[in-house]
Amino acid sequence: MSKRVVITGVGLISGLGESAALLHQKLCAGTGGLGEITEYGPQGFDSQPGGSISNFAPELYLKGRTLRPLDRTGRLFASAAKLALESSGWTAEYLATHDVGVVLGTMFGSMHTISQFDRQALVDGPSCVSPMDFSNTVINSAAAQTAIWHKLRGINSTTASGATSGLMAIGYAADLIQCGRQNAVLAGGADEFCFESFCGMERAGLLSGPSSKRGCAIPFDQRRTGMALSEAAALLALEDWESAQARGATVLGEICGHANAYNPAWNQHGRGQEAISRAMQGALDNARLSAAEIDCISAAANGSVADDKNEALAISAVFNGQASRVSLTAIKSMLGETLGAAGILQSIDFLETMRTSVLPGIAGLAQVDQELASLNFCRQPKFLSARAALINGVGFDGHACSLIITAPPQA
Amino acid sequence: MTRSAAVAVTGLGVVTSIGTGCQTFWESLLAGRSGFSRVTSFDTIGYAVHMGAEIYDFCPQDYVLEMDPAAIGRTSQLAIAASRLALLDGDLDLSEIDRGRVGVCVGTTSGEPHSIERFDDQYVQGCVSKIGGEFLHGYPCHVVPFHIAKEFSLGGEVMMIPTACAAGNYAIAHACDLLYAGKADFMLAGGADSFSRITYTGFARLGAIAPEVCQPFDRDRKGMIPGEGAAILLLERSDQALARGARIYCEVAGYGLSCDAHHMTAAHPEGEGAARAIRMAMMQSNIKPHEVDYISAHGTGTPTNDRLETIAVKKVFGNHAYSVPMSSVKSMLGHTMGAASAIEAAVCALAITHGCIPPTMHWQHRDSECDLDYVPNVARKQKVRVAMNNAYAFGGNNSSLVLAACADSNRERP
Repeated sequence: MSKRVVITGVGLISGLGESAALLHQKLCAGTGGLGEITEYGPQGFDSQPGGSISNFAPELYLKGRTLRPLDRTGRLFASAAKLALESSGWTAEYLATHDVGVVLGTMFGSMHTISQFDRQALVDGPSCVSPMDFSNTVINSAAAQTAIWHKLRGINSTTASGATSGLMAIGYAADLIQCGRQNAVLAGGADEFCFESFCGMERAGLLSGPSSKRGCAIPFDQRRTGMALSEAAALLALEDWESAQARGATVLGEICGHANAYNPAWNQHGRGQEAISRAMQGALDNARLSAAEIDCISAAANGSVADDKNEALAISAVFNGQASRVSLTAIKSMLGETLGAAGILQSIDFLETMRTSVLPGIAGLAQVDQELASLNFCRQPKFLSARAALINGVGFDGHACSLIITAPPQA
Repeated sequence: MTRSAAVAVTGLGVVTSIGTGCQTFWESLLAGRSGFSRVTSFDTIGYAVHMGAEIYDFCPQDYVLEMDPAAIGRTSQLAIAASRLALLDGDLDLSEIDRGRVGVCVGTTSGEPHSIERFDDQYVQGCVSKIGGEFLHGYPCHVVPFHIAKEFSLGGEVMMIPTACAAGNYAIAHACDLLYAGKADFMLAGGADSFSRITYTGFARLGAIAPEVCQPFDRDRKGMIPGEGAAILLLERSDQALARGARIYCEVAGYGLSCDAHHMTAAHPEGEGAARAIRMAMMQSNIKPHEVDYISAHGTGTPTNDRLETIAVKKVFGNHAYSVPMSSVKSMLGHTMGAASAIEAAVCALAITHGCIPPTMHWQHRDSECDLDYVPNVARKQKVRVAMNNAYAFGGNNSSLVLAACADSNRERP
């Protein structure tokens, strides 16, 4: 008999704040969280929406020791982990007697540190590089640094699959708990905003471009031209239900099902819809739920011309005639694309939607793309008594991952 | 832990500096051949060391048949080659099975390092404008398993687990869990890394690279030799493998993963986490210390690793540690990073199949702190029913895999 996996805590560092309640409040108010990327003008890049969290102060969360060994991705993830530990009630005493695992989902990991380390060796010579920087050039450094900082001795792993990485980490962690390998896991995602990822995304034509040139990063909007690249870290404290009950933990929700899919026939010119449909259907099957039992969908849509359309068509196909019944939101309209953290922020906001019975709208959505299927796009926040949500993640190269979160199980 | 079925290893694909394909590779291991040579993939002027374990005879077009080999990075090429060899070795005809039930799970340290190294070259030359969209499509490490899935049109779960120098073990462990859970019928699981300037620079800076050869557990060992390679294991549930009459090398009986939570690059001074991973792997496999016939060591050849790994093994095995042969193939093919533990899992499978243990080469002097049986310099004929594969990584991540001969792992599980 496999175990049930419940959520007993959350932690986040995002452009819309560091608490779930604040994130939800801002998403519902529709007051913007995206800055403007202006710093790469000298390298020939136009300014456009997105960028780093300007007021992130890791020393508020990571106290008593020097932060020098951690790079930005490590600081983001370890800070969000601190908040998740507090939220779940996994205190120092708990950690002294229980091995807690960590699973990180990240697209780029420590790419900025890797690149800077290499460039320093090229410019100053190989003997001038810092050994401390080298230790962060492994892609799993944020997960390892987080374990070291918080003394988490359980299974420590990292998974990478592009923008679906965070949801993959949740699925991976849920599998570890379900088959009894670990009772408690901090799972989530992190990606920092850096020049290397910005440059890669810009050159691949995935970014919206400057608003002065009609750039628009609003999901599902007729005017959309691409996404706004941003950053965040977010985690869920996952636990097997029996252990959570035994320690009297507050249960926020249940990981009821998950699935992912890759379409090997994917290419840059199409076939993006199939993997998304398969991931959603797989998650429903895994949760033993029918599409009719889903109350809302948190879309991965980020303003991408092709991927938003693919996702809309996939939702329409999987919900087979009932899609107009299910409320659909897309919170990247305000958070931008946070890659590894994206699916986790969507999950955290759904927990708040269940708590407050309000679903945030797709901020800024003015004209829905005519080519999209007729879905129930939620433009304004609305009252919704929700018990089950489908959370989508869509990658840039043919991968998709879906998660189903439901209300806490009844004892 | 309860398990409904065991996982069988039914195909092996390896690409290394001492041989491609498990036959050639195994002959090289038994003969004690080394793959060390002067680094050629980048200029080591300015470095205090110059040796590496690069692969020279690899022709990607021999293995990458559906995709354009020139359009993908070297790590993807190596991983696809290892996958093709594993499928051939396992005699699995993909056209006769549901490819939607075949998954891929790969570990790595650096993914496609050449992609970001070219980015950095252009950056320092002030040519950022020359960087194109191929950087994004070629660099992120997840492209390695995606490329395998694309080459062979596989529609099952596709995962990258980039947990550095222990990544191969992590990927094999997760693939087994997916098979136990019934989420796939077959998994291609393992690890891959291509020779990286960045990795070489870092280990050189740490003073961890040996000037000439890698001599694990030797009193005068001077460090590791970075290398490159890939290994992919074809995995499936044992009942399925038996039913389709597949040749079974061995079974994956269990695994243990742990984190020191101590230091980024220094292992726990008493080998606490490593010992915990070994114990977990044995407990899950229902294996007692005296039943382990061979340990494939992480054995990098650095002074600290080899000492602490010896301590961890003694901690778990007690006096019996002296009777378990433990060798490191890194003495021949260097440290292939994320591929290493996958290659070493293949070594365990071959040792079980052939009843022979590969040696630790270049061993000359006994170290008072490394006093176990390291199978020095000469391969040893010996029945191996149960093998343990250790791998450790930056961040204090520890992994141990137990592989067992098929009949032996049919025992009742706890």
